[in-house]
Amino acid sequence: MIEFEKFELDNGLKVIFHQDLTTPMAVVDIVYNVGARDENENRTGFAHLFEHLMFGGSKNIENFDAPLQMAGGECNAFTNNDITNYYDILPAQNLETALWLESDRMLELAFTPKSLEVQRNVVIEEFKQRYLNQPYGDVWLELRPLIYQQHPYKWATIGKNIDHIADATMEDVKSFFFKHYSPSNATMVIGGNLDFDEVKELVIKWFGDIPAREKYERKLSAEPAQNEKREKTIVRDVPSDAIYMAFRMAERTSPDFYVGDLVSDLLGRGKSSRFFQELITEKKLFTQASAYVSGGWEDGLFIVSGQLTSGVSFSEAEEAIWLELNKLHLNPIDERELTKVKNKFKTSKVFSEQPLMNRVMNIALFDMMGKLDEVNNELQKYDAVTSENIKNFAKYLLIPENSSTLKIKAK
Amino acid sequence: MDRTLSPKFVIADQLDLIFPERIELKNGCVLYWMKDVKDEAVKLDIDWEAGTKYQDQKLISSFTNKLLLSGSEELSSKQIDEEMDFYGGFYQMQLDKDHAGITLYGLTENMNDIFSVFSKAFSVANFPQNELDKERTIAIEKFKIEQQKVKVICRQLFTPNLFGADTAYGQVAELSDFDALNSDELRRFFNTHYKTAPTLFLTGNVNKDFIEVLRDWSANFQTPIKTNLIQEFTQTNGRVHHEKVDAIQTAIRIGRLMFDKKHPDYFGFQLLNTIYGGYFGSRLMANIREDKGYTYGIGSGMAVMQDAGYFFIATEVGKDVKDDAVKEIFNEMNKLKEAPVSEEELTKVKNYMLGEFLRQADGPMALIEVFKNIYYNKLPKSYYADFIQAIHDATPQSLQDLANKYFVEEEMLVVTAG
Repeated sequence: MIEFEKFELDNGLKVIFHQDLTTPMAVVDIVYNVGARDENENRTGFAHLFEHLMFGGSKNIENFDAPLQMAGGECNAFTNNDITNYYDILPAQNLETALWLESDRMLELAFTPKSLEVQRNVVIEEFKQRYLNQPYGDVWLELRPLIYQQHPYKWATIGKNIDHIADATMEDVKSFFFKHYSPSNATMVIGGNLDFDEVKELVIKWFGDIPAREKYERKLSAEPAQNEKREKTIVRDVPSDAIYMAFRMAERTSPDFYVGDLVSDLLGRGKSSRFFQELITEKKLFTQASAYVSGGWEDGLFIVSGQLTSGVSFSEAEEAIWLELNKLHLNPIDERELTKVKNKFKTSKVFSEQPLMNRVMNIALFDMMGKLDEVNNELQKYDAVTSENIKNFAKYLLIPENSSTLKIKAK
Repeated sequence: MDRTLSPKFVIADQLDLIFPERIELKNGCVLYWMKDVKDEAVKLDIDWEAGTKYQDQKLISSFTNKLLLSGSEELSSKQIDEEMDFYGGFYQMQLDKDHAGITLYGLTENMNDIFSVFSKAFSVANFPQNELDKERTIAIEKFKIEQQKVKVICRQLFTPNLFGADTAYGQVAELSDFDALNSDELRRFFNTHYKTAPTLFLTGNVNKDFIEVLRDWSANFQTPIKTNLIQEFTQTNGRVHHEKVDAIQTAIRIGRLMFDKKHPDYFGFQLLNTIYGGYFGSRLMANIREDKGYTYGIGSGMAVMQDAGYFFIATEVGKDVKDDAVKEIFNEMNKLKEAPVSEEELTKVKNYMLGEFLRQADGPMALIEVFKNIYYNKLPKSYYADFIQAIHDATPQSLQDLANKYFVEEEMLVVTAG
């Protein structure tokens, strides 16, 4: 059970406090309600590029990292299609340093040409290192546009291509900041060995006078329902053929998410999973096979991927995957197998909530999804899943008409 | 309120470490138990002296470890994994140059069952041929994928050149080594290295009879006889390059043999390394990422094993700026040799490192790792207090002296791939 208290400032900033008296540390986590889905289609990769710029100095403070390090702290951030998340971890008695730094960049960035120029290069190198210079690195650059035709989930967080990042102008940067980085577009969670009243006082001191700014209203084109099988094959210099199948499913907060997550575990998590036992051990068609859910906030994905054993054809491999997917609705899951995946989930949940950082981040994300009250209900949701739910999930979603398949053929 | 001024902060100069309780099991097996945990998460590390340095054939130690729970003709790996998973257990195999073993994860209520699955599997382990074949096929595919990454190619050139290709630490596996594996060799390695008493590290709340379960289990082992494998290493200096025509980035790895954690220069050099390349605000990051934009990331560090230690710098940069990046890496070393660091930078790094100590020692799972460091490196219990004192005592002059002593370009191995 994660406990918390919350309050809101006049400028719209939502603040949540989570006490942990067993640690010497404090964590400050700010989630901004902006991700790659909020980008202009001709300026993709911008939310992520912007995350880099957020460390390039703010209106009154030349450098973000140095004063934090001076106070014994460390920070980082990540961007995905849905949100941008910034976090600082430092000795609890120095909390104010993090609030000072975070508030100044929420107030206004420095917008220096040098920072833009350098971070463009850094992000381009990141693009090369993670997406272009790795075997199978470009899978999501290829797969997203196959799955989504309208919704901005059709591009990856890094962007559609390097040119979009290379062409970003200072004007773009400024308007992106004022549109998305306002107090009313953020949730801040503070956790650690701290006192609520003191935290509240410090938050009001540093964040209270930030102007509210105009509230951004997200209006994205919905992705129409899929009713056709989609497929694409690309040829790459990779060691073995690989297959990626994506099935569209409901959003992160829907009951289907929990069913999908358990289904992905029973198919693809660990050596006793069906994929490992059937596809790798028994039939020897694959050398690697996994299943997982993306957890997209608006329109999630159920993903199956595998690497083919050499000499195995795509059609044999695909047929074997479909056989496993079809088994889910043809034969009911027995209780022992269902209990097994639930037990595994329970263990990972307890471990994942051990670090303060994870608890704080979880609160922030649930609040941003508008489901703060459910942050402690996840175990019950998994526990409530029945074999009937699984059967239905498979029957309606894990079907050819709802699938997008990317095949990577080794050169 | 002046937003240009940093609020006051305090830096603690002490670290409250809690060490695990030491419990003697049987036959020389020792258990270290960190029991003050507020939730139900339990972690058990079981560690043998069975790392890669003990093998006389490449990959033997890794495959013995990989197949530890693959059972026998009577008890299949499938049955073992089914049971383990049913109790919500997770396990991870551990392997490095010195040690090998397994870590079991589970919740208090299931830990006795999880351990029972493990001990049953361990007692029947006989490395069936079909399991070896399966793992080999999987491993070969992974190996081929890794071989396409420039950072992996670079590391595989670095290791033999640093230690000597024929030494225990310098060996690097090749594709053909996979074919040479057979069950008999795995069994022999297992009998030699996994039948002597392991060391156990337990974190978490367990049922009260769990310790007795471990005590009974420990009766199966022989008391270890300490083998002293003293190794000599000869480093190659200068440049080694591997051309990968289609690569769009080049991986760079530069380094040299160094000393262990008991060396009088160790603490000071760790501080110097942090300034140079050991954290986000380091000289290397400031220059090569934040000023020139050559890379997504660059860092340096020290690695210490039982018989050797080394210092290294690693990065991946645009192929066209490879030589400039190498030049800048040495420029930054030279700057630290030529001019003392400013008091301001030194204070920042000292404070950062003290904060980092707090993070490293936060919570029982972290504290057991802190203890393992002391235990495996045979360090005094005052090690962290001594470290903190040494950080306080470091001066711009002492760091400049260390830079001149160890940042010697001619003594560095420079490997590039891409």
